[in-house]
Amino acid sequence: MSFSEQLFEKIKEYATSKEITWIESKASGSLQSLQTAFVATPRFISKTLIQSTETINDLSIKDWSLDRLVRVYLLSQMDSSDKDSYTKALDTLFETAENNEAVALISALPFLAFPDYWMLRATDAVRSNIGLVFDAIAFQNPFPMQYFSELAWNQLVLKCIFNDKPIHRIQGLNERANQELAISISNLAHERWAAGRTIPAQAWRLVSKFMNEAIFKDICTLFVSQNQNDQIAATLVCNETDFSAAKEELEKHQELQNKTFSWSMLEV
Amino acid sequence: MCQKHSEISQNPSHFEGTAEELVTSKTVQANYADYTKGMKFFDPHIHMTSRTTDDYTALIDAGVVAIIEPAFWLGQPRTGLASFKDYFSSLVGWERFRSSQFGIKHYCTIGLNSREANNEALAEQVMEILPLFLYKEGVVGVGEIGFDDQTAAEEKYYRLQLELSKEAGLPVQVHTPHRDKKKGTELSMAIALEHGIDPSMVIIDHNNEETVESVLDKGFWAAFTIYPFTKMGNERMVEIVKKYGSERIMVNSAADWGISDPLAVPKTAALMKIKGISDEDIRLVTYQNAIDAFAQSGQINVADFETPQVIDQSLKFNGNTVLRGGQIPRIDKNSLIIS
Repeated sequence: MSFSEQLFEKIKEYATSKEITWIESKASGSLQSLQTAFVATPRFISKTLIQSTETINDLSIKDWSLDRLVRVYLLSQMDSSDKDSYTKALDTLFETAENNEAVALISALPFLAFPDYWMLRATDAVRSNIGLVFDAIAFQNPFPMQYFSELAWNQLVLKCIFNDKPIHRIQGLNERANQELAISISNLAHERWAAGRTIPAQAWRLVSKFMNEAIFKDICTLFVSQNQNDQIAATLVCNETDFSAAKEELEKHQELQNKTFSWSMLEV
Repeated sequence: MCQKHSEISQNPSHFEGTAEELVTSKTVQANYADYTKGMKFFDPHIHMTSRTTDDYTALIDAGVVAIIEPAFWLGQPRTGLASFKDYFSSLVGWERFRSSQFGIKHYCTIGLNSREANNEALAEQVMEILPLFLYKEGVVGVGEIGFDDQTAAEEKYYRLQLELSKEAGLPVQVHTPHRDKKKGTELSMAIALEHGIDPSMVIIDHNNEETVESVLDKGFWAAFTIYPFTKMGNERMVEIVKKYGSERIMVNSAADWGISDPLAVPKTAALMKIKGISDEDIRLVTYQNAIDAFAQSGQINVADFETPQVIDQSLKFNGNTVLRGGQIPRIDKNSLIIS
């Protein structure tokens, strides 16, 4: 079953028969009529919340509104055989998008043909200050994990940390951890500490495999933090790393060493 | 000028209020909000793209829970289609989000304004992209359109956009001209009727004492802009409501990049309360009538601004969580220390 068909199957679990009739009448239309249907979707489709935890094409649709799911489905139905007219139709939608439309477009990126072509749209969503649009690329979306360069990936993760957003909802977070990102997180922490501010404790999960002398000093700082979450993070990093000085440091904190911690305790 | 005191008391200038009004003006200036406690307001005409975050804070504090931002000109003419596209896009994008951060529901009307209708080459292109925006969520009308200099080009694009509104089933928000207002208003209404548009779908804006009667008689909505110096003052507005009642009348601020007051609606409500207008009439002209008129678009769900919302984590931005209901991170404007 194609991804598009899977989307429609899921829609049928939540839509009324009247809504399904409307969707069926639009789903095989031309590029232009699908474009119009995409814009008009909320006039015909409710905002019922999707409860399903299943994923489609690695995309989790939990807590989506039904109209968002239908919009993604309509986009997945667009004929991509002529690249120029296909991309033009979608570009118009991107350029004139209302916020909920922008969210649906970004959510649909994993289903669009010519993934490279949409890279700027994806990285622009990371640049967006509109919370909903940023979240649509950052969370429950496999596109960044699959296609982002290291630079773009690190920008996404750092912006999440910077804005106190829940990085554990980023797909591929652990798989794409890297040395540059670990250094950037350390630098961000230094900046924040200098200003008397903090970073979310779970950010440190991304440094375990990339420990160096500078980051090790940060971990020592976390051990003496007033915030218990920082101490938990320091313990977890020391458990995970091969860095011998970190192992020795952990020995000094026996009250933490013998406790069972996990990163999920810090996922807020 | 009257020189003798006896003449003044016998023939008071109409600028002088009663003794009671004199007391009012001296005592309630600072705390007019005491008169609007518990009231909520809907400002159906305000250009937030030209306003600061301080204004958003002031609006929600004063009880303004929802607003309509009509598309207009930016003080100077645009030179290309892309500027229009980005502007319309910002009305359904960034500005809508910015407003939501302060707990204010933001709607807009989309249209080609009368001044820029005079650049026909550009106007033609704008007409082509209008349908892309008119069918979007939260677009509650075609506006603000109508006459400025009352030229042939203005008339042409006013008519074309009336047709668009019919096709989309949207209300029309009509700007009436500053100069030769009465004639412009009559012409705007005549043309709308000629196009077979139900007057109940048309909001005639920027009315005054000279235009109101005809607008109401013909069945249109009459909006009044409380705007210092050039449009209505709110004392005059009180007299209008006393004379014509509250049916199909609404007030707005039209606050923009000029010297204007985003709090015009709550201030007018306070003045009406002080001057003895009933709570129900105040509610109609500062809240309900605007909703009734623009909800004909099918794009206003009052639950969005009448029921308290749960915290939406996705509204987190730069470490600030702005809660609906006005729990905005505050800065003390008088504090020297910025932290």
